[in-house]
Formats: sequence, C-alpha cells, structure tokens
Amino acid sequence: MSVAGSSIGEAFVSIAGRDRVRDDFEALAAATVDGLRPRWVVRPASIEQLSRVLALACDGRLGVIPRGAGSSLELGNPPARVDVVLELAELDQVIEYNPDDLTITVQAGISAGALASLLAPRRQWLALDPPGIAARTVGGIVATNASGPRRMRYGASRDLLLGVRFVQADGVVTWGGSKVVKSVSGYDVPKLMVGALGTLGVLAEVTLRLHPLPEAERSWLVLFENARAAQVLVERVLDSPLQPSRLELFNERALRLVSAEYGGVGVAVSIGSVAEAVREQGERLTVIAGSSAGRLVALSEAFWSQAESAMAPPQGATVLHVATLSDRLAGTIGAVEDAFRTVAPRADVRLSGCAALGTLRVLVSDAGVGETAAVTTRLRALVGEVGGSVVVARGSVELRRSIDPWGPVEPCAFALMRSLRDEFDPGRVLNPGRYVGGL
Amino acid sequence: MPLSGPFLQELERIVGASGLVRTLEGRLVYECDMHTFYKGAPDAVALPTRTEEVVEIVNLCRRERVPIVPRGSGTGLIGGAMAPVGGVMIGTNRMDAILEIDLPNRCATVQPGLINLSLTQAVASRGYFFAPDPSSQMVSSIGGNVATNAGGPHCLKYGITANHILGLELVTGAGELVRLGGTAVDRPGYDLLGAAVGSEGTFGIVTAVTVRLLHAAEAVKTILASFTAIEDASEAVSAIIAAGIVPAALEMLDELMIRAINEGTGAGYPKDAAAVLLIELDGPAAEVEAQGERAARICWERGALEVRVAADAAERALLWKGRKEAAGAVGRLAPTYLLQDAVVPRSKLPAIMRELIAIGARHRVQIANVFHAGDGNLHPLILYDDREPDQLARAKAANEELLRACIEMGGTVTGEHGVGLDKAKNLPLQYGEADLNFMYRLRRAFDPDSIMNPGKLLPSHPACGEGFRPARPRVPDGAWI
Repeated sequence: MSVAGSSIGEAFVSIAGRDRVRDDFEALAAATVDGLRPRWVVRPASIEQLSRVLALACDGRLGVIPRGAGSSLELGNPPARVDVVLELAELDQVIEYNPDDLTITVQAGISAGALASLLAPRRQWLALDPPGIAARTVGGIVATNASGPRRMRYGASRDLLLGVRFVQADGVVTWGGSKVVKSVSGYDVPKLMVGALGTLGVLAEVTLRLHPLPEAERSWLVLFENARAAQVLVERVLDSPLQPSRLELFNERALRLVSAEYGGVGVAVSIGSVAEAVREQGERLTVIAGSSAGRLVALSEAFWSQAESAMAPPQGATVLHVATLSDRLAGTIGAVEDAFRTVAPRADVRLSGCAALGTLRVLVSDAGVGETAAVTTRLRALVGEVGGSVVVARGSVELRRSIDPWGPVEPCAFALMRSLRDEFDPGRVLNPGRYVGGL
Repeated sequence: MPLSGPFLQELERIVGASGLVRTLEGRLVYECDMHTFYKGAPDAVALPTRTEEVVEIVNLCRRERVPIVPRGSGTGLIGGAMAPVGGVMIGTNRMDAILEIDLPNRCATVQPGLINLSLTQAVASRGYFFAPDPSSQMVSSIGGNVATNAGGPHCLKYGITANHILGLELVTGAGELVRLGGTAVDRPGYDLLGAAVGSEGTFGIVTAVTVRLLHAAEAVKTILASFTAIEDASEAVSAIIAAGIVPAALEMLDELMIRAINEGTGAGYPKDAAAVLLIELDGPAAEVEAQGERAARICWERGALEVRVAADAAERALLWKGRKEAAGAVGRLAPTYLLQDAVVPRSKLPAIMRELIAIGARHRVQIANVFHAGDGNLHPLILYDDREPDQLARAKAANEELLRACIEMGGTVTGEHGVGLDKAKNLPLQYGEADLNFMYRLRRAFDPDSIMNPGKLLPSHPACGEGFRPARPRVPDGAWI
C-alpha cells in the first residue's frame, strides 16, 4: 500500500488543526535532526491528538522523532528516518497536584522550571537536577534518564516515576504504574520507560514522587592536589554518618571556571537537613577534610549554578557519560585526562563526577572527531572491566557515525531489548535507529 | 500432570537424588505459601545448588512444556510460590551463599536463597545494612524479596526492594542466562532490571542478586503516640509529612488491634486509645533530635493522649513489640483472617478508615487495622471463623469492596505483598485492556512459551491466552490512497 504525502499531511491537519501541522521550509529546516529534514512538524494539543497522529504515522510507516525541549537531540545514533518531528511542549498541563501526598501528575511536555515554580510555594520539589534542567521538559528528562549531583540522595527518574501514560507506536494509549508512592501491582512498566528514548512509547503523562525541600543547606569545597587524595576524602565521607545530598568531584579545568579557589581536584559537598544538623555535620566534614589533607572552603549557593553553566555544552562540544565504580572514580578521572592529553592535547576537558555513584560527566571542546572517538574507545575498554559504560550523551553527527554512541550491550540482554522493540514497534516508527544497537 | 519417568530421571541427573523431592508427603510441604487458601503441590521439587543446574532445569522443562514455579522461603502472602497446575518447583534454599561483599562500593552479590537478615548480619559490624525489611526478614529469601518487590515498615524513607537492587543474574523462561544491571550504574539500553524486579517469577528465575548496602544511621529515635480518634492520628501523619520530616517508619494501629495487642502481649498501650502511631526517625543525631521533638509536638497539637519516646534500644524494642506481634494477637479475636495490602493516597487515610468501618458493618465482619500510615499502605485484617462458611463469604465480599474503595480513591491493589494468584483477578480494577496487553507482551519477551509461574501476576483472559487486545485509535478517512 502506498500513501500519498499530501494526503497524510491533510490527515494530520484533520487531527490536530492547521496551525499545529507545519510543512513550510522554515519550520522544517528548524526541526532538522542530524541533517535530516522532516516532512512535517506536528504539535499535538492533547493526548488524544498525539494518539491519532501516531496511529496515522504507524500506518504510513513514517519515522517519528518525539521532541520535548530539544536538548537531547544529539543523543544516540543518527535516526534512520525523519518524517515527523513531534513537538510535545504543548502537553504541559498539571493534571493533579497532591501536596499532602507528595505526588503530582503532569503532562510530560511541562518544563521542569515551570514545575519547580509550582512546587516551591509548598517547599516541595522534584528531586532531579540534571544540567540545564530549567529549560528541559519533564518527559525529556525521564526519557533520557537525565540526572545530576543530588541523585546520590534522592535517586534518579527510575526512583521517582510512579506512573506513566504513554502512547505506543500504533497509537494505543497505555498506562503503567500507579498514582501512589508505593505499589507493586503488575510489572513495573514505568521503569521500562525511563531512559528508553520514547522507543517503546511516547511519554504523555507522568506521576512523580516529590520531596520536601530541606530546611537548610550548606555547601563546601575541599581542594586536593590530585584525584587520589580526593578519593580518600570521598571514601571517608561515604563511610561516615554524614548524609550529604551532593558529593561532586570537579577537575581543575572545571574548577577554574567556577571558583576563585581551585586545586588539582575539588570535592564539593552539600548537606541539607534541619539547621542544627547542617551546622553539626559541617563541623564533622571540616575534621574529615583536615585529616585527609584537603583544603576546605565554604561555598555560596551560586557555586552550583556556576558549575552547571561551566558544565553546559557550548555549540559543537561533546558530552560523554562515563559510568564506573565509586571506588574507581578518581582513577577514571586521571585516565580521562591522560587519554585526552595523549590523543588531543589541545582539547578543553571539563569533568564533574557523582562520587557516590561512580558516574562522570565529561565535557569536551576543541577535539577532533577521530580524537574523541579514540578516547571513547580507550575509556570503554577501561571501564568495561567493571561493567561500566561510556555513552556519547551529546556529540556531532560525524562523531556518532564514526563510533557507536551507546557502546556495547551484553548480547543476551540486547536480544531481550530487541524482542521488546520488535514487539511494540515492529515498523520502527519511534526514533528509528536511534537507540542502543541501532534499535 | 504427572511427569514422565525419563523426565524425572533427567531432573535427578541435574540436581542429584538429594536435590529432588518426588514423594507426595515431600511435595505437600510445597503446596502453598503463607496464603494458605491457595493450594497446589508441584509434581516435583528441584533444589539446585548452582546456576548451571538452573539453566539445565529450565531448558529441560521448556523442551517438555512443563510449568516451572520458583520458590524461596515460601513466606509470600499472595499464592505466588505454589503450583496451581503442577509442574516443577525450583527451590532456591540451597543457593544461599554470599558471593561478594564490596563495601568500598557499598554493594554485595548474593545467591537468591540467602535469608534477608543474614546479609545485614554479615555487614552490620562494619556499619552497613540491607534496607528492605519485610516483617518476614528473619526467614524470607532475598530472591523472594526481589520476586515480590517486597516492602517493609522502613520503606517510607528507604524505598522498596527495587530501589536497592543493582543487578540480577536471571535464567529466563527461554532458558537463557542473562545479566541485567550490575555494580556500575547506567548501562545503556532498557531498564530490564527494573522490569524484572517484582515480576514474581514470571520472567524467569533469579540465580544471583547484586544489592545496594546502606551506611547505618548514626541515631534512631522511636516515638509512640496514642490518640482517642483515628482522624487525629491521621492528621498527625499528614502534619509530620507536611513539616518536611520523612520518618524511617510511620505505623498505625486501630482500636480493635490495640485491644487485641493489649490482651495478648501486654504492650501496655493506653486503654482509651483508638489509634496508636509509631514514629521512627533515623539519621544524623542532631537531625533526629530536632525532628523527633517536632514530631512529638505535632502529636500533642493534634490531641495525643500520650507521647512516649524510647530512651534506648530496649525501650525502642518495647514500643515496637506490639506492632510486630499484631498479626499474631488478632488470633484472640478470631480463628483466622484475610489480610489486605491495598494502598490509598496518604491524604485519603481518614476517608478510607471511615469507609472501612462502613464496609465491616455492611458485611457484619470485624476488621482490625495495622498499617504503614506514612505511605498509605493499609493492612486490614478481616476477621472470620473458617468453621462457618457464611463468615468466609462475608469476609471475601468485604475484602473485594474494600479493594474497590481503595482504587476509587486513587490507590492500588497491592503496595508490597505482590499480586500472585490472589490478586491477579483484581488487576483489571486498576488497569485497562491496553495496559494489561502491554504487560502480557512484556512477559512474552522473557518467557515465550508461558512456562514460568503460570497463572500468577496477570489475569487470564477469557477469550484466549494471548492477553487483552486494546482498540486502536481511528485513522482519519482519506489518509489512504
């Protein structure tokens, strides 16, 4: 069966209305993904419209790229086809906010900034803090499993997503999970949707667990000559009764951009609690820092927003997400810096790492495609020893063509992933080819 | 479905004679879990000691289309580890080793048959613990905790089992040995680990588990507050949460339960109390101190009859004593009971308690309540005398009505016990056809021949084994040429 383009376009219009379907040159050029220009940009105003748009795209065997704020379009393989860019930013309604239950249900296109403003008067928040969060959509954060320094305390999307309404590739609207903070009824479908890049269904509505904002919070920076010394502090803090909400390592290059004080490696620590406990834990941190031969500096809250800007990628920069073990983090920081020094000596390499989890964010500017690819391959071999991974979270289309941006997946697990993808999206409508192993 | 001679010989070759239970009296031990309503003995019980044996058993069963039922300690409450259609039960009791403790990375890898509490005991001297603490933790296995995604009183602060599982080694229903997750986080690809936790043995059987260990809290404070009205206690719960306090546990007992406990164990709760609230805070000492004072003040403000604060570990144990013996204490009120596990949004607690009383009156059954108030997870015990069939019928009717009421208030049919055979029929209360269909297809990816724990977790479809078929949205006319 063949489908005529103009007829599909008209059908999109009949579903969403003329002003929600664009096929003019300007709109299509602005929506280009990895050099591929879509045939339509569709902006559904309701889940029902979204469902019908996908059903039509599925029948027409179109490739659909769901798009929230568009901040993660350089994640994954370049798509195999781009027929429709599906803009979700208008699905931004708050469905139900239950402050007494610390839960909220929102449409997935709502921006995290708007959500934070809504929650702040009740001193509550969605405990996710990935870089650039304010402009991102909640659905995008969940679909890409984005997280930040506070993950060590509050977990990531998988720990905060209670329920999810999504639209499968064939347009079927599906619900998984629950709207309460505790449920084990049926399979944990929400976890399956986290980090799946919309390939099992486009996220339309999410129910989230919220947290109370701590009464008080203070931060300190502990400076060290080298990563090994920093690792000692990290281990002492983690093996103590201190309960930091952030324990983030920065390399010297990143530190120079955010702090008047810097050293070879810095460990930024935040403690959030009641005021008395913050003061008391701060004193203990001072003792631990002293015994670890680190230099302790008190930080203002501005440090974290400056750090976020310093770690935000400028145009053309590459971001690598490295996952290793907590006790290998310092060694891995050294390995990343060494690798770039050897392969791409002129590169600007900024590092921040979540010490408790063993994850690193590597921001690289001024390195060639071949150089970054070579370093990535080298790092994969290194962290692969402990089951770690290196994912190109952002990078040029050339880089993502020259190496697999996701890296290897264990073959048996991948076979299961492929069978899920085949089951739920056999025609590869949603983000065709972008996900792991070209799924 | 009797197993053939050659099949049993092959099974015996794999696990050895000492690892195979074939006699009727031996098999009857395995005919039910702690939900003794549901009985079904397996045709054979295999007790492997190594992962390789599990792989061989699954492949043998798959070849012969014999159902498999995994079982840990059999302490589940849902009719999960029992064999409604016979087949081979795989018991993990002999796979109970701690494979690795990695304190620098705060994790451990264990075999599935390891008893939950044994892990904490192994790391407690170093200041660590395994957080999931179902009340069965002295006997339940970690593999069983993973299968049911078990909770416990302290999951208000620490989360349920899923939040503490980093990796699984799983033999799928297709007989493949697959490793999901691991010590390093963020593996690329779908979170199959997240989907497998809580899958109740329907995806396969777990042969190793990597868990997160937590550093023990510096201080613990336990407060017991009693109230003359359950509404006041419920309001205190909401006020504590609204004050930004996340207690480790927040448990409530109602009037009937208090009476049963007072008569039974002599926990010494005030006689006039209609509700007892047990609040446990843990964390850095200064935080626990400040929040404890605030929580106690909130209880007084909400009209508490009495507020006791445990001064030491012995007093803490005393305050918990009544709560821990609750299920046993109701034996004084009635010979047996149906235990429910539904959840409502926390703010709906007063409303559901009123509804519960009305339901009890309507069906002429007594309902005693002990529950995890902090997360709205109810555990009503619907009392009845099993010698009188009419009482059981009324208890069942009350149970069904209660579930519906919880769902209508925005809740869920199970908060921590799981679905099993018991609640499979209730899932359609909460999920539509499309939602259930998605789950059926998810299961099929792991277990293409539907041999893993059949009849559990998902309701059987009246029309066919394929699961529910959702209607697709209409595609506009004229889109086709």
